[in-house]
Amino acid sequence: MKPGRRLLDTVPAWLEAHRDAARRSLQRRLQAPVLSLISIAVLGFILALPAYLWVLLDNARALSAHVNHEPRIALYLDAVEPDTVAALERHLETDARIERWTWIDADEALARYREGLSDPGLLDWLDDNPLPDVVDVLPATAEPETVAALRQALADTAPGATVVSDDEWVRQLNSLHQLGLRILAVVGALLGLGALLILALATASELRERREEIAISRISGATHRFLRRPSLYGGLITGLGGGVFAGLLLLVGIGLSRAPLEQAAAAFDLPFQLALPGGSHLLTLLLAGLLLGWLGARLGSGHALRDAP
Amino acid sequence: MIQLQRVTKRFGSAAEALSNVSLRVDAGAMAFITGPSGAGKSTLLRLIAGLERPTRGRIRVNGHDLDRLSSRAIPGFRRSIGLVFQDHRLLFDRPVFDNVALPLEILAYRRPEMRKRVRAALDKVGLLHKEAVNPRTLSAGEQQRVGIARAIVHRPVLLLADEPTGNLDPALSREILQLFDDFNRVGMTALIASHDLGLVERMGKPVLHLEDGRIEARGAAESAT
Repeated sequence: MKPGRRLLDTVPAWLEAHRDAARRSLQRRLQAPVLSLISIAVLGFILALPAYLWVLLDNARALSAHVNHEPRIALYLDAVEPDTVAALERHLETDARIERWTWIDADEALARYREGLSDPGLLDWLDDNPLPDVVDVLPATAEPETVAALRQALADTAPGATVVSDDEWVRQLNSLHQLGLRILAVVGALLGLGALLILALATASELRERREEIAISRISGATHRFLRRPSLYGGLITGLGGGVFAGLLLLVGIGLSRAPLEQAAAAFDLPFQLALPGGSHLLTLLLAGLLLGWLGARLGSGHALRDAP
Repeated sequence: MIQLQRVTKRFGSAAEALSNVSLRVDAGAMAFITGPSGAGKSTLLRLIAGLERPTRGRIRVNGHDLDRLSSRAIPGFRRSIGLVFQDHRLLFDRPVFDNVALPLEILAYRRPEMRKRVRAALDKVGLLHKEAVNPRTLSAGEQQRVGIARAIVHRPVLLLADEPTGNLDPALSREILQLFDDFNRVGMTALIASHDLGLVERMGKPVLHLEDGRIEARGAAESAT
């Protein structure tokens, strides 16, 4: 420590140094606004695409929950032993995955069917009741894996029963959603890497412009950390701007897609309303922008400062 | 303060820029290095400042063995040195004040102390009234004095100057050398490279003469005390 400097001074001095680096970085951007805005716009476009996919996927998942939140399992007990019926009843009572169940007796079913016919006398032609007993099961959750497991468990308890569930399309939709998430992850990662390299290049070229300042600072004893500090703040500024711009693009993009998507859903008789991006979407965009900006600046400055004199 | 033992510096496969140079400058001394351009004066100063590494030989400056100094320790070492260049090497994207304040920023000085020291340094070189102007608008002599203020603002123990009077007329040159003499009087060790023999000899300080990368003592022994 230099004479005349107290330990108590070092923390405020450090804060001042950071404030100066941030201010100088902001000034540099304001002096060349076009280049800075291009960097921000590039980052914004790159972030907006995966964010747009993400919001659509979230909406698709909401749609599946909306349309079928009560998947049913039906057991047709046409070739079932009396012992099995007792075991099945125990299972239905004890399985926590079952919300409620209804046993529809074959005779009762026939009676109901008869009521629905315009000429009930038609059924008198039958020698005996062709309908089986049916158990209608409402699972406690709509979660496809749980419904599938419950369906299998019921089939195991009642061998010979025909077990049918109506959650097949939910499973298909869910696997499509998983596929969508995977595509989103791949596209997001590739675009993120691209953004990182672009930001690193921008940082490196900015440091080339500061070459003389860096050389003089090095001669005066500047550390690597001191030299790259303004670049890191520059990266954060670009990242913040890119995140905000991506958020705006996303709002506009979703806003423009809203009417056609809702019209398409209506054509399929789906009661669907496209939700706008929420706070979590926008916050994630902002954080992704800041992280990419910082990482890009770090990558670019590390490379450029290693090569600088 | 400075001790070189049989130092040789070669750049790539070119001829040796310095051959077997030994010299000593004691703490508190002031000495000159003279010689024609290309004699190795700048190389010698760059080696002493830790900007270059010797091909062979040992360099000890202010208690540091430069040939053994790790790259992490170099910034700390350089903060104890002030360097003045012939071409000033000022930054034209900021005013005079910020140019002079650069070493203090690197040392993380707080604003009030920084202002005090920058003003004191500018006052010393007679440019306090120019602190807010862009150095581009200054004359060559004034620019050189800003460079000197920057080199001494953090009160280094060693001041190295490479042709500080190279572009100046004789009156200005004398003024600049007088400044170095003043700094030396308050305890700063100074080593100044200059090709202007007449001017150097009038200062009455030890002179080390370099010719083709070799020391030829003139006016003093190889050691300056």
